[in-house]
Amino acid sequence: MKRVLTTCTYCGVGCGFYLVSNDEGQLVGVEASREHPVAQGQLCVKGWNAFQFVQHPDRLKQPLIRRNGQLSPAFWDESMKTIAGRLKEIQRKHGNDSIAFFASAKTSNEENYLMMKLARAVFKTNNVDHCARLCHASTVVGLAQMFGSGAMTNSISCVEQADCILVIGSNTTEQHPLIGSRIVKAVRKGAKLIVADNRKIRLARLAGLHIRHRNGTDVALLNSMMNVIIREGLENKEFIADRTEKYEEFRKVVEKYPPEKGASICGVTAEEIVQAARIYAQAKNAMIVYSMGITQHTHGVDNVRSCGNLAMLTGNYGRPGVGVNPLRGQNNVQGACDMGALPNVFSGYQAVTDAAIRQKFEKAWGVEGLPDTPGLAVTTALDAAAEGKLKALYIMGENPMMSDPDQNHVRKALENLEFLAVQDIFETPTTQLAHVVLPATSWAEKDGTFTSTERRVQRIRTAIEPVGESRPDWRILCDVAMLAGYGGMKYDSPKEILDEVASVTPSYGGITFERIGQFGLQWPCPNKEHAGTPILHVGKFTRGKGVFAAVDYRPSVELPDDEYPYVLSTGRIYFHYHTGTMTRRSKLLDREERFPFVEVNENDARRLKIRDRQWVCVSTRRGEVKAQARVADVVPPGVLFMPFHFEEGAANVLTINALDPEAKIPEFKVCAAAIRSTP
Amino acid sequence: MSITVEKQADLKDPQEALYRPLLCKMVSVKELTPTEKLFRLERLDGRPFGHRPGQFVQVSIPGIGEAPISVSSSPSRGSYLELGVRRTGVLTGALHEMIQPGDVIGFRGPFGTYFDVDAMKGRDLILISGGCGLAPMRALIQYIEDHRDQYGKVTILYGAKSPIDILYKDELAQWVTSTQLNCQYTVDDVPEGTCWDANVGLITQLIPPLDIDPARSLAVIVGPPIMYRFVLQELKKKNLPINQIIVSLERYMKCGVGKCGHCTIEHLYCCMDGPVFWLNDVINLAGAL
Amino acid sequence: MKAYDETDLALSFQALGADYDVRVPILLSDGTRSLGRLEEGKMALAGGKLGAKPTSVFFPQMDLVFQQKGTNVRMQAPPSKPLMVVGLTAQDADCLAFLDRFFSTNFKDDLYRQKRMNSAVVVLSGKCGRDGEMLRLSSGNCDLELVFDGDRYLALAHSQTGKAMAEKMKGGLETDEISLGRLQRESKALPDDELKLLQRASSLLLDNKVPEDFWVDISNRCIACTACNLACPTCNCFDVFDWKCGDSCVNRYRLWDSCQLDGFMREASGHNPMGTEALRTRRRIHHKLAADVIRWGQMGCFLCGRCDEVCPTGIGIKAVSREMVEKYG
Repeated sequence: MKRVLTTCTYCGVGCGFYLVSNDEGQLVGVEASREHPVAQGQLCVKGWNAFQFVQHPDRLKQPLIRRNGQLSPAFWDESMKTIAGRLKEIQRKHGNDSIAFFASAKTSNEENYLMMKLARAVFKTNNVDHCARLCHASTVVGLAQMFGSGAMTNSISCVEQADCILVIGSNTTEQHPLIGSRIVKAVRKGAKLIVADNRKIRLARLAGLHIRHRNGTDVALLNSMMNVIIREGLENKEFIADRTEKYEEFRKVVEKYPPEKGASICGVTAEEIVQAARIYAQAKNAMIVYSMGITQHTHGVDNVRSCGNLAMLTGNYGRPGVGVNPLRGQNNVQGACDMGALPNVFSGYQAVTDAAIRQKFEKAWGVEGLPDTPGLAVTTALDAAAEGKLKALYIMGENPMMSDPDQNHVRKALENLEFLAVQDIFETPTTQLAHVVLPATSWAEKDGTFTSTERRVQRIRTAIEPVGESRPDWRILCDVAMLAGYGGMKYDSPKEILDEVASVTPSYGGITFERIGQFGLQWPCPNKEHAGTPILHVGKFTRGKGVFAAVDYRPSVELPDDEYPYVLSTGRIYFHYHTGTMTRRSKLLDREERFPFVEVNENDARRLKIRDRQWVCVSTRRGEVKAQARVADVVPPGVLFMPFHFEEGAANVLTINALDPEAKIPEFKVCAAAIRSTP
Repeated sequence: MSITVEKQADLKDPQEALYRPLLCKMVSVKELTPTEKLFRLERLDGRPFGHRPGQFVQVSIPGIGEAPISVSSSPSRGSYLELGVRRTGVLTGALHEMIQPGDVIGFRGPFGTYFDVDAMKGRDLILISGGCGLAPMRALIQYIEDHRDQYGKVTILYGAKSPIDILYKDELAQWVTSTQLNCQYTVDDVPEGTCWDANVGLITQLIPPLDIDPARSLAVIVGPPIMYRFVLQELKKKNLPINQIIVSLERYMKCGVGKCGHCTIEHLYCCMDGPVFWLNDVINLAGAL
Repeated sequence: MKAYDETDLALSFQALGADYDVRVPILLSDGTRSLGRLEEGKMALAGGKLGAKPTSVFFPQMDLVFQQKGTNVRMQAPPSKPLMVVGLTAQDADCLAFLDRFFSTNFKDDLYRQKRMNSAVVVLSGKCGRDGEMLRLSSGNCDLELVFDGDRYLALAHSQTGKAMAEKMKGGLETDEISLGRLQRESKALPDDELKLLQRASSLLLDNKVPEDFWVDISNRCIACTACNLACPTCNCFDVFDWKCGDSCVNRYRLWDSCQLDGFMREASGHNPMGTEALRTRRRIHHKLAADVIRWGQMGCFLCGRCDEVCPTGIGIKAVSREMVEKYG
């Protein structure tokens, strides 16, 4: 028996636990870490089953190279040379920006840092991004502009200190269970819970007020709430005067949204809006918790700004139990952003457009001529590939065929590439299109760090030997850099990589493997003496004054019509994770939800003569998929909800590739759809 | 119902491998309906399976897993085992698609309680089954046919969803024409354009016209969960006491030996204390019927 | 009788390692105590019950059932050395006895029993709880009991195996039984209000006095993490799955399962006898406090407290029993 303390590979909550392996080196279970500050000896069902997929027989065990159209087994040497050679060749032929790199929110900080270093230092392109584009790009853009930091303002432990919690666009007990459980406990202890979500999620059953506003009308709802707060004099005048700017412009816009107007846009009653405004504004400590219901819209950044406005208007910043708390989806999506796996910034959100910053990195990396214009995002890179402008793509641990909007568009884009390299732990619909596939190790087979949604940088530790010939992503990236002729990416261990990160990244300046220890450190942690920062914006905002943003309601791009009369919203479910590659290979998790499904309101189902668990066909202008109907009152009439985890019923065949103009995040939460029963 | 409980565990005596599948050969496969097939198995060593009507076996296909399947043939017909299997899950799907005559597959069992054919002796029997429930019921009917002189009047009622779903059509026709049995069947629904001149309607409609002597009758019910409540209402109207009714309950047994916990009904294990129960033992248990 | 200090015990356990695969409470890197081998970490006898399910030594979260190559089925081999487990509490020993009987009644579960047979169980009791808290003395249902008097561990052999073990132990001071008597009295005087609460809850369930609404209310707070089941020393449910291990080679495993999951009883047809959250929440409590009483003549909960500790929303069996008794008497 061996027990290794590590950090969960599923969601961004960042629970610590022990992976248990037997004398034969097989993972056989999970044991809780009783002292871990987030987990406290508790986990969700995915955590308790997190060991299951690691040694699944389907693991990729050796590299594959496409020969005569077929992916066939290959040696590491040959595969690595092919990747470096093809990328160099395409760079020569079509220029630096003909190549893009997708880092991964599933891999470690060190690996994301290396991916962005590979893109920038070796191939001289800012075309590097990852799937944060698809979840919280709006947060990073919106909150950074308003406050100077695009992350959760408070800590997970703050939830139980709140007097009022507004949960908007987050199914917290399913997607961030150990934060959701704290909300449940807070409510039991007397905190007021407002849930704004048109699905009847578990938290809605415990909420004092459940607002089921129409999908995509969050700005109208929040503006109306703020209208009420100002009208009734519930705003925090002192906070507004001392700590914010541009209040007047903002107030003028909000004035246009009396609750009656908000009510008619949102499809709720004005009383509900007034009530929500009062409960939130009158609470001593009010916290906003949001997730992708806010961000995944063509007005995602505006949604985020509205959340930020609401908390500023009421002075809910910089102390326990308050704040604006975007819950990051993937285990290391916070870290992948922090590491600069984004087209516009280096690690620590240092802009590529800033010459001084570029100089700093040129010096640190021993290179010249780092590119100075922001590169392509995940979404725009695929558009460029479809148009033939992007020629090569190097993907580490992502599965855009399943995760990105409009699968047919993604397929066309990937097929259009001259060269596609993918490293992953399982075969996916994306690896099937690759020219070279490399077997990477999972999180249980390597060292490194993840950064959780509360900015807590934590260790992952090697629990078992690599499966087959798989190699950790960081080693693979170092080898590619070397083969591409760059000598500045040689490390003996992830520890050394994190030391380099600390040396060039102010917010990670004091973070080392030793200091992280058992339970992690929360950034900003600028130096080796700094104890980390559980709560941001104490006393003043990171950027100085908080900026109010005046935002108007804009409807979603594709609304229901006669042909496609339903609103289709997509998302995740408790038992599965992202594109399902891991959870669908875990016995219990897979057993719980084995089929793609679509939630249909019981009234709609009755009219359409659709029975519960009957197979139906859901279609949009992009395509159609089969799924099992789940008939209940979870979604309101006129709305369909589909999880995107299922390859055989991929919701992203249906979604629309319409982007927020600033964040380039797709509108996963609203498109027009039709549903019919299948024979 | 008697549950034997030992005061303390005896951790000394040796034991057999409880979860080791034994091997058997698929002798023949016959299509019953578009979704159901009849599989005939024989043990590799040629010995009988030792089953009794009402019991089930755990069928094992390596790489796929195990599933409990009730036996559709009576031991009085030979040493083979017949399984009428509807394609619903992973294992039954594999049975339907992958397994050919001549293939060797695994089995454990037979497990579970059985229809008490001794208690039935001398009684008038009303054998009611719906849908797949005819699979275990067929084993009982075969057994009774083979020991016909031991029983009184035998009535067989069977309901299927639609004409295409009717199981064991040839045997059903024989039972209907047999002078030894009173067999009636019905379908819930007849799709347009189907030739059909037999009963249409729910199985419950077949009960009121029956002439039942509550003092000497015994009923056996096997069917989908929804069926029990309605059939029991009709039998109540006939004044049949609940201790003269036998039911067979369906649960998803994983181990078949009372260990995995998947088939519990309150304090009972359906795989071990059932699947065949006297109604009065389960009627008051939450979730039983 | 003899009294041992920790050094004596470490040496003794090492010596017993000749006959046994010895598992003792060790300190993991974050301060969690868990069962491990002596060489895997610092021995940490004191500190109360272990966090993880203590019976997992004999019934692990995932366990190989057999390997099948072609038509050749090889069952999991028994352990090469019998297990010796140190660190169960008296409650844990009761749980183990309950599980022993479960796995040995009617059909005998060889996977469990081949690990359990010939194993040795050592209970820790006395003043070795968290911060010196008094732990109840066992009822003798273990091989050896080490009763901590605040200074040394008094060794009580309860079986032949225990006597044989005691003979092989190293060091120790001969001592009278006065201190043991005092500890026994202290143990008897420990409050039993939790047991009374549980018994009251059990009668409410047996008398059918808890309405459906109660379970709906509790289940609204359940996030289906399954930890209550995974931490419970008497929970025994498992699922089974196959993994390919090469051409025509298959490993069949069993894996802890949870009755709190919708798929636990869902049949392939879609029918689910426990198809609502309320039914599942009821089953978790009812099974331990009522069904087990009917079947086994005793409750399946021995108040170890683990489910209450691992539940993220505070609805472990004690908390639910308390709410039940408050509401219905």
